[in-house]
Amino acid sequence: MRTTEVSGRQVLWRAVAGQRRNVAVAAVLGAVHQAAEVFVPVLIGVVVDRAVATGDGDGMVRWLLVLALVYVGLSLSFRLGARAGERAAERSAHGLRIRLVDRVLAPGGGADEGRLPGVLASVATEDTRRVGAVSMAMTLGIGAAMGLLVGAVVLLRISPALGLLVLLGVPVILVLGHYLSKPLERRSAAEQERAAHASGVAADLVAGLRVLKGIGAVPAAVGRYRDTSQASLAATLRAARAEAWQNGLTTGLIGVFIAVVALVGGRLAAEGDVGLGELVAAVGLALFLISPLQTLAWVNAELAQGRASAARIAEVLSSPHAVPVGGPVPGRASGGVLRLRDVHVGGLRGFDLEPLPGEVLGVAVTDPAHAVALVRCLGRETEPEAGGIELDGVSVTALDPAGVRRVVLVAAHDADLFDGTVAENIMAGAPAETDITAAMAAAGADELVHSLPEGAGQQVGERGRFLSGGQRQRVALARALAADPPVLVLHDPTTAVDTVTEARIATGLRALRAEQPGRVTVLITTSPALLAVTDRVVWVDGGRTVDTAPHDELVQRHSSYRSAVLA
Amino acid sequence: MSATQDTPGRELLPVATAPRTRAAVRELLRGRTGAAVAAFATMAAATAVGLLTQPLLGHIVDEVAERRGVDALTVPVLLLAGVAVAQGIGTAFGLSLIARLGETLLAGLRERFVRHALHLPLTQVERAGTGDLTARVTGDIAVVAQAVRHALPELARSVLTIVLTFGALAVLDWRFLLAALIAVPVQAHTAQWYVRRAVPLYAEQRIVTGTQQQQLLDTIGGAATVRAFRMERGHIEAVTSRSSAAVAVTLRGVRLVLRFYARLHIGEYLGLGAVLLTGFWLVRDGSVSIGTATAAALYFHSLFNPINAALVLMDDAQSAQAGLARLVGVADLPVPEPAAPAPDARPGEVTITGLTYAYRPGSPVLHGVDLTVEPGERVALVGASGAGKTTLARIVAGIHDAGGGSVRVGGAVGLVSQEVHVFAGPLEDDLRLARPDADEAALHAALDRVGALEWALTLPDGLRTVVGEGGHRLTATQAQQLALARLVLADPPVAVLDEATAEAGSAGARALERAADRALEGRTALIVAHRLTQARAADRIAVLDGGRLVECGTHDELCATGGVYAGLWETWSSARAVAP
Repeated sequence: MRTTEVSGRQVLWRAVAGQRRNVAVAAVLGAVHQAAEVFVPVLIGVVVDRAVATGDGDGMVRWLLVLALVYVGLSLSFRLGARAGERAAERSAHGLRIRLVDRVLAPGGGADEGRLPGVLASVATEDTRRVGAVSMAMTLGIGAAMGLLVGAVVLLRISPALGLLVLLGVPVILVLGHYLSKPLERRSAAEQERAAHASGVAADLVAGLRVLKGIGAVPAAVGRYRDTSQASLAATLRAARAEAWQNGLTTGLIGVFIAVVALVGGRLAAEGDVGLGELVAAVGLALFLISPLQTLAWVNAELAQGRASAARIAEVLSSPHAVPVGGPVPGRASGGVLRLRDVHVGGLRGFDLEPLPGEVLGVAVTDPAHAVALVRCLGRETEPEAGGIELDGVSVTALDPAGVRRVVLVAAHDADLFDGTVAENIMAGAPAETDITAAMAAAGADELVHSLPEGAGQQVGERGRFLSGGQRQRVALARALAADPPVLVLHDPTTAVDTVTEARIATGLRALRAEQPGRVTVLITTSPALLAVTDRVVWVDGGRTVDTAPHDELVQRHSSYRSAVLA
Repeated sequence: MSATQDTPGRELLPVATAPRTRAAVRELLRGRTGAAVAAFATMAAATAVGLLTQPLLGHIVDEVAERRGVDALTVPVLLLAGVAVAQGIGTAFGLSLIARLGETLLAGLRERFVRHALHLPLTQVERAGTGDLTARVTGDIAVVAQAVRHALPELARSVLTIVLTFGALAVLDWRFLLAALIAVPVQAHTAQWYVRRAVPLYAEQRIVTGTQQQQLLDTIGGAATVRAFRMERGHIEAVTSRSSAAVAVTLRGVRLVLRFYARLHIGEYLGLGAVLLTGFWLVRDGSVSIGTATAAALYFHSLFNPINAALVLMDDAQSAQAGLARLVGVADLPVPEPAAPAPDARPGEVTITGLTYAYRPGSPVLHGVDLTVEPGERVALVGASGAGKTTLARIVAGIHDAGGGSVRVGGAVGLVSQEVHVFAGPLEDDLRLARPDADEAALHAALDRVGALEWALTLPDGLRTVVGEGGHRLTATQAQQLALARLVLADPPVAVLDEATAEAGSAGARALERAADRALEGRTALIVAHRLTQARAADRIAVLDGGRLVECGTHDELCATGGVYAGLWETWSSARAVAP
């Protein structure tokens, strides 16, 4: 039951390889840019040596023109190279984002199991961005390596001794700086984490604002935030001090190193081994080469982050399907003959269900967790632990899950609405051009639409947040009814609507489902108003089916049923 | 200050004007002038010391050019090393002081902001959409913090380096300064050009990425629904188009930044060429040495990074300013005085007289409601959706102000609503929000009273278990019990319960009803009854219909009169009737 397994490495590699043209262009131009950057201090040295020191006016003009040419090359290669690199980064991130969403929505499911939506959304934005950024980082890394190479060649040509000093000294300085600041860095990371806590606390208090107001806890909350903020301030200050010393340390080290280069270079120049301009160039290069090395260190960090992100993406992409995929799609003419035999799932034991054609069947379950397990099972969100579900005599395990959902539509209690109008939401599962008036009336959504300023054209907002809980529930029910599937499973569709409306909905939905011959409706609920309109009710207590009979008979026969449903 | 209008009917929280934002920053700075001066003076001193590097290097060039011998190099090299050490130490102190200043100001600002934000009337928060406040408390504080932490020190350093380097060029020879200033108009123009384009582009980028994020949350959060209704294709198309839009805007931003750099390159070249040319002439007419000319060129070359950094930081400064304006906008709102209990009301008494209320002018939802609840009495509010029950409950709880008429309450009112929130952190901290000085025994007693002690003690770390966002997840019923336990701890004489049991399913609802019953013991209670069993158990039932109080009495009385309540009860009980 696994999807095609991918590793983080593959995700990373495909992201880069998929953009190879852009990456190649960016790498070549990045190298050209870095080489040009190297030539700027070299040319300053040449100008001092050949023109300023000698007073050669023609030479001055000539070298300024050369400098201009270097600048044109530098500017163009940077601009075009960085553009290609960023394009590669953005496009591969986009590609991965779509792949992730595609996997999450795949009929087999399983990718959203055990992962919070916020976490998955952050994988789809932040992690894809980081993996995309690897393309850009690689091109910058190649450019920096090129800059180092050109700088090395130039320095070694000036003087092997000076060249070696700079080439060995710069990495030593960086490693030394890194090593010396390591304890500071560690401390800073720990402190920063504590500092981030304050913002989390503030957001959490705002999210619970209604609760705080409700119990008059605002002053207590303000006090708590002040304490958190002050603790966070102390932590941040320690971190900032650590960072400041790290900064000072690097600055000092680089300065001392430049002094050493000046000393060695000066001695060589005084002894006539290197020219004046070459001394200037060497000092300039010593300062310059720090930046490509820092770039390489940064690229390394980016790659590490990219690898971690790619691993997270790979984990989502290769999460096992919740139900098997790839089976045949049930025929369009499926009669919707649903049968559950000896199903064991999430606390339900040996559950049988066999709705008759055209029947409205109630399932009353005492434990809400059992009801949820049954709903997920019927919606092909999970496999039963044992037992079988058949559609038209074929085990659903052997059928395509999306195809099964076309025949058996399960409207979960917590079904979501999506950004769009009320009408768009109701039409979501119905064939185009469907007349939704009847479905809206049956769900009590017609009344609701009249109360909205813009009627059915009213925007519901993301997750339907512009509507109240009861309004959302009625729109979701109308959507399920409008889809008009051969088998409709409704789980607690009226918990947030008032008694009168609930009674109206119960009658309405029964009438609507009866209009089409053979339509099966399963109502999983303990609401007496809904159970009263069913033909039969399967009464499940403690995970086992106790009895199956019309509602009224169950009421008379079982005190447990009375206390669960009527109390 | 100006209120920003977004979508009609939505009134965003205020945003401070630019002068007001600046004034607020000055207010925060007041009393810290000494610290500010010390920080910038230290930073300036460190930068100035660092600028001795180039003349010392130039001096070494001169010594070599004039063939003074190898030993003449010792002193300038030692000085160079000394400069480096001094600069390092100065930088460390300067940055520490700047961070202390910035972070202290930031902490003051965020505390002030949160205090005012939590005191905002809920009506105002809801009119603005909760997203507005949440965005400010997370996004804007983070943006301002980011600016204080990174942009501010970097900017201070860059600007000091630029200004002092220009000064140093002038010290070498005033004509070097003139040459270097050739680049300034180009850079200034480029900066202006960039900001003009970047500000709207970044605003667009924020909107587009926000939309993308929302779409992802919508699609991923609703994945089960998407699969059930086979809406996969539509959702993938929506995600693709939102993501493509975000990519397009980001790439437009990239192109803009790159054009910005290309223009800066022109400035760099012009300035460098001019400095070199000036050096050439000044050396030729003998005004300066070769070493000085070298120092000038090195000075200018070393300006590239700080100038670019300062210009790039304009971006951060822009967004930080916008964020700051939104924070100050809220922090400037007055903190309302805590409402004193009505002096003439008996403790625990609620008297509602002629109460009217309208969310939108012209369409009132309550029309002159009169109702008196005796101390210790339980009154159930009953009515169809939209009858005004919740509005009435919220007015009594003090969340909305009465539109017309009056509500007098003898004492504090506690409200438990259907919206449960478990505060992130240890469970005991959550409970202590209701009573900060509660000891462990009090917490246990409160949990026990609502039937939550048993599960609370079996949590991994007992009452110290971290719950809420990112912690141990409580079930809906547990969260609701927690809300009731908070009510017990807060111990108000009057309590309002609004549909606190509606979402728990029938079995859960009954358990919660029992918990609520015990939590309400000894309190005057107004209960928005969703299930009529709750109504029947109340002392009195007040029936609302279309915003009017149409009936009021005990269950038996109302059933006997055959009015609205009797009808509701009929529907409710017929569904539950035991057939003869």
